[in-house]
Amino acid sequence: MSFRHETLPNGLEVIAEVSDSALSASVGFFVNTGSRDESDQTWGVSHFLEHMVFKGTDTLSADDINRRFDDLGAAANAFTSEEDTVYYASVLPENQREAVELIGSILRPAIREEDFETEKLVILEEIQMYDDQPPFGADDICRAAFFAGHPAARSVLGTLDSVRGIGIDQMRDYHRRRYAADNVVLAATGAIDFAELVETAKRVCGDWEPCPAAPRACSLPSRACGGGDEVIREQVMREAAALEYVIRLSAGPDGDDPDRYAAKWLAMMLGDESGSRFYWEFIDSGAADYASCHHQDFLDAGVFGVQLSSDAESIEEIIERAEEILADVTANGLTAGEMEQARSKLASRIVLSGERARRRLFGVGLEWAHSRRYRSVADDLGVVETLTAADLGRLLDRWPLSGSHATVLAGPLESSSAGGEPSVAAASKPQ
Amino acid sequence: MKQTLHSAILDNGIILLGEELPDLESVAVAFHVPAGGIHDGPGRCGLASLTSEMMLRGAGTRDSRTLIEDFAMAGINWSNAVSTTHATYFGAMVARRLPEAMPIYADIIRRPLLPEDQFESGQQVVLQGLAGTDDDPSHRTLLALKKLAFPAPWGLPSEGLAGDVEQLTPAAVSGFAHRHVRPDGMIVAAAGRLDWPDFVTRMEGLFADWQPGDAAGVQSGARGGRWQHVEHDSQQTHIAIAWSVPPYSSDDSYEATAALSVLGGGTSSRFFTEVRERRGLCYSVSAGYSTQRDFASAICYAGTSSERAQQTLDVMLEEIERLPASITDAELGRVKARAKSGLVMQQESSSSRAGGIARQWYHLGRVRSLADELERLDRLSVSSVRNWLERNPPADLSIVSLGRNPLEVPRELSA
Repeated sequence: MSFRHETLPNGLEVIAEVSDSALSASVGFFVNTGSRDESDQTWGVSHFLEHMVFKGTDTLSADDINRRFDDLGAAANAFTSEEDTVYYASVLPENQREAVELIGSILRPAIREEDFETEKLVILEEIQMYDDQPPFGADDICRAAFFAGHPAARSVLGTLDSVRGIGIDQMRDYHRRRYAADNVVLAATGAIDFAELVETAKRVCGDWEPCPAAPRACSLPSRACGGGDEVIREQVMREAAALEYVIRLSAGPDGDDPDRYAAKWLAMMLGDESGSRFYWEFIDSGAADYASCHHQDFLDAGVFGVQLSSDAESIEEIIERAEEILADVTANGLTAGEMEQARSKLASRIVLSGERARRRLFGVGLEWAHSRRYRSVADDLGVVETLTAADLGRLLDRWPLSGSHATVLAGPLESSSAGGEPSVAAASKPQ
Repeated sequence: MKQTLHSAILDNGIILLGEELPDLESVAVAFHVPAGGIHDGPGRCGLASLTSEMMLRGAGTRDSRTLIEDFAMAGINWSNAVSTTHATYFGAMVARRLPEAMPIYADIIRRPLLPEDQFESGQQVVLQGLAGTDDDPSHRTLLALKKLAFPAPWGLPSEGLAGDVEQLTPAAVSGFAHRHVRPDGMIVAAAGRLDWPDFVTRMEGLFADWQPGDAAGVQSGARGGRWQHVEHDSQQTHIAIAWSVPPYSSDDSYEATAALSVLGGGTSSRFFTEVRERRGLCYSVSAGYSTQRDFASAICYAGTSSERAQQTLDVMLEEIERLPASITDAELGRVKARAKSGLVMQQESSSSRAGGIARQWYHLGRVRSLADELERLDRLSVSSVRNWLERNPPADLSIVSLGRNPLEVPRELSA
């Protein structure tokens, strides 16, 4: 396994983790843009643009693009998040050059009026599809409440109204600014020919213009930083839902914080699908349908997300019990046995996901896109093996789980406040 | 590409399969026990699932908590699942931990405690899972479709029916485990960085003295009607369509899967192009292949907003009807390229291969080599696919819609 890196004259960076034993090649263009780079007027444009990229260039139709991906036998797709838009493909090594050429070409889309209107309909379908599924919008509402006033508060898809309101010129302008050469990383993993990768990138992307990207830094609400003791709670009625769904967010380390590894470790002890505190309390007993905890990091913020679901009658009891567990862990930490089990599971998962080039692509690409760092599987394993109880203590001290948080319920229970205003109270201080 | 496959059969009938993938650090092992949902019995839909849930609540000298902790300490990514035919106990781990994992699985399969004091909890877990799937409209649509298109008990949901699960007893669970968790018909597949002789020796030590039981037959019943609408208060309407195609064991299954891939496989498929790209009717539309040992089905799916659902169904039916006479060389070339990539990329995953070789043995009684699969794919031609489609055009469609309003189905289909 070796790491390679080169920057083109226009600022586009090319990186690769090259494996001698891989059978496939994965390539991805990581554009440093997402919903946090939108305004209220362009809410949803990052994701909408991701769809438009597949609708054609000046020389390729949408059908041409779809056919070419399938001709290459590519497992190809794209996704948009708060901070990234990623276009990727996994192919057999002999198709590396063509895959890079194809994705590189479509990143300069024609954005035609007719396609824009048709694809808008697909986006509206996608929004409705998610709205019919658990957690029935509770995640978006909770994110909005927790990050109120910060760009991370916006959902990635946007709303039916915001997407309807996006104009084609707004999208073209957004594309010019955000898809500039120096705002894109081409990352590759697996059986990669690096010299050819750089040569292809120069040929396909060499004439892309750089553009100084607007700074992303933005002051965060105190909740998102772990300060304060404010508690937000909101309840949304979804009559057709069979179960009640709960999302709870509290602050955690950001993507640049060394404590983010301890945060993943803690989340595993608390809410992994097997053997965690939540598992024994809620899942083993059949009290809840689902109970999990995860840590997610952004450039300038991080969150611990708790998800719970159960029949509506039991949900208040389950939330109360979850709060007790979070307060107990914040005050008393976890046992040596829990720490060793979670360490062993975490290490095993790092090895397993490291074996597949297409999974490695996201880890390697996002790490570089965010912080210009490369970390091998061995680097990650090294950190996990040396995490200590002291690390966990410091983490919980900096981001007490029982501190300020936002909780949103969606399901058959009646809404708590008719006006839709979230209720606010003070959190109980950890002992 | 060099491929090292192994198989062995223990005297009691347990099939052992292995594939060496020496470039990997991991190994995956899957124990497929012939205790799937088709054995539930009338009025006991969900018994196989509840039994599988109970089997993980302590085994041998390990109580429920110790069992899960032992999995964690060995770094085993474990899961269990119940399909129509099998209960599967699966684990992926760093290869050197396999000797620790195997005795845990042997305990679960041969010496489950099935603790009565945890019966209610186990029952609750199954019921919670069922309530959760009520909130998944596409899943509900496909369940309703299977009930229409497949003969009972194959069309019944292996996750169970709430009314039946509520009536189950600890005695039913232990009876089911005793009768259906057995060596004959069990397939154990391991793939990854595998020491095959050592694996066989350990399996013999753990399982060779286990005696087979009486054969368990399954009586196939009638299938459901042809067309059903399920009322559901949702923004989208979900549509699912099925018809009969040859099972995986038939050589024709290559032609059938190729035809379905042209219809709704990749982003250049007919469905994706006509339903999503040209008309923007939906986000999600596809066609796929679902097989049992003796029969198989084409399954098409789309989810779309209610006001455009009728048009979506109409376009899908048009594309299904148009398919037989119209497949082109270029389309088939893309199908082959996608299938070939998929086969090669599977070799990078111990979990995929452990699943793949077991599936092949169940359906074919042998494991096809990668070279054989690629050679058979190469033999696919436009004329072979067209000829097959001419002889077996999509017919006797079963159609389910789920949403606010029923759709109109052409008279010849709704008869």
